[in-house]
Amino acid sequence: MKTKMSFLIAGLLLSATAASAHHAFNAEYDAAKSMQWVGTVTKVEWTNPHARFYIDVKDANGSVTNWNFELGSPLVLRRQGWTRDSLKEGDQITVEGYPAKDGAKLASAKKITLADGRTVFGGLSSDTKPNY
Amino acid sequence: MFYRPGIISFASFGKIAICTLLAACFAFPQTNGGAIAGKVTDQDGATVSGASLQAKNLSTGTTYKATSSASGDYKFEGLPVGSYQISFPALGLGAPPQNVEVQAGQTSRLDLHARDNSLNTLGEDRSFFASIAAPHLTPKGPAPRTQEGRPDLSGVWWSTRIVAREEASMLPWAAAKVKDWAASNFKDIPSARCLPSGVAFLHYFGLNKLIQTPTLLLNVGEMDVAASRQVFLDGRGHPKDMDPTWMGHSVGKWEGDTLIVDTIGFNGKSWIADTIPAAAAFPSTEKLHLTSRFRRPDLGHLEMDVTFDDPGTFTKPWTMKTVADLALGEELQEYICTENNQDAEHLVGK
Repeated sequence: MKTKMSFLIAGLLLSATAASAHHAFNAEYDAAKSMQWVGTVTKVEWTNPHARFYIDVKDANGSVTNWNFELGSPLVLRRQGWTRDSLKEGDQITVEGYPAKDGAKLASAKKITLADGRTVFGGLSSDTKPNY
Repeated sequence: MFYRPGIISFASFGKIAICTLLAACFAFPQTNGGAIAGKVTDQDGATVSGASLQAKNLSTGTTYKATSSASGDYKFEGLPVGSYQISFPALGLGAPPQNVEVQAGQTSRLDLHARDNSLNTLGEDRSFFASIAAPHLTPKGPAPRTQEGRPDLSGVWWSTRIVAREEASMLPWAAAKVKDWAASNFKDIPSARCLPSGVAFLHYFGLNKLIQTPTLLLNVGEMDVAASRQVFLDGRGHPKDMDPTWMGHSVGKWEGDTLIVDTIGFNGKSWIADTIPAAAAFPSTEKLHLTSRFRRPDLGHLEMDVTFDDPGTFTKPWTMKTVADLALGEELQEYICTENNQDAEHLVGK
């Protein structure tokens, strides 16, 4: 703790993908493959370590696939003003996000838009002042 | 620090691509040197503030540092004429460096387009990490004191913010291990399997609730499976025959207004990942020895300086300085990590 120590200013050491509350994003999701899904919410799990929601997505042939989307932990979502009712079963939504690398019907949600154009789970945008 | 709008986090930049490289220049007052300037944006076109950049003179090897401003602009000034390699030194992870020429009296313009491949999950995206890394509003006033006259560290505190830290010099095996971790995108980080995410007494993520008595300091952490940590202040020493554990054994003593906590007895399974979000992670061994110094300089702030001494991992001890802000009106929430942890089976890495 003496002055001879050369401290690096925080912020000059920005490296690891380990920067995550739970797991490293890049280890699971492919951020280079941004995708969009349109479907109906079938279930919401307000659980740790991640809240999740599931939607039925219908393809051009009419076959339906259920996709599983990851959100942050409920405890951080709550402090950002979201609740377990922010997204409900039956909601028609458009999701932007990143698919799992292993090909599972699993993705990380980046943006959720309701049928009427409103954004759900808007994140810490300039119009959603965080508690932090 | 880095803020919305258009922030990018301290997290990894997997790919860095140069959008434009304009040799055109601005007037530069010095005639014996030049400058490099530009703007950093991300894949969405948002400006990136707080990004660390490095310019390396390809002839002399001298390196220069710059950080992008709130508007994403950066500038290296007073550079000797020559060829320079521009990189994001710590954002790294495969980011290809770019070369640019510096001419006397001119500013070479180099706009950088950075791809942030991480932390895009809603609720825990890069703006969230930026928000917890930024100072919070805190009440003013002196630090409260106990009946014994000691500073009272009790309170609910936001997660720690790193003020500064020394560079960690790793032994070859540890450096190789970290390289392996990075190559697999840190898929094996213990927290992904609901194991402890670090070794420091205060957690870098989630709130910390400190309860201090004359003989004990207890931390109840909000978002870590090693949720409770205790420091014995009753004068006892470390046990002679303790089994190694994830969090070790802590005893503390006061020196003036500073509480010095000594922790040993670690099991070597932990990643030293406490430096997130100014991120870096290191392996540890059973030789790990932490010395933590706690101060409460005023009502709203708690300082924790931690010295990581692990001769099995590092060539010398290194210290990290952190501060936590008082979280007025906040309470801990529940975090049962194993409740619905679906991630582990999908962590393929690359």
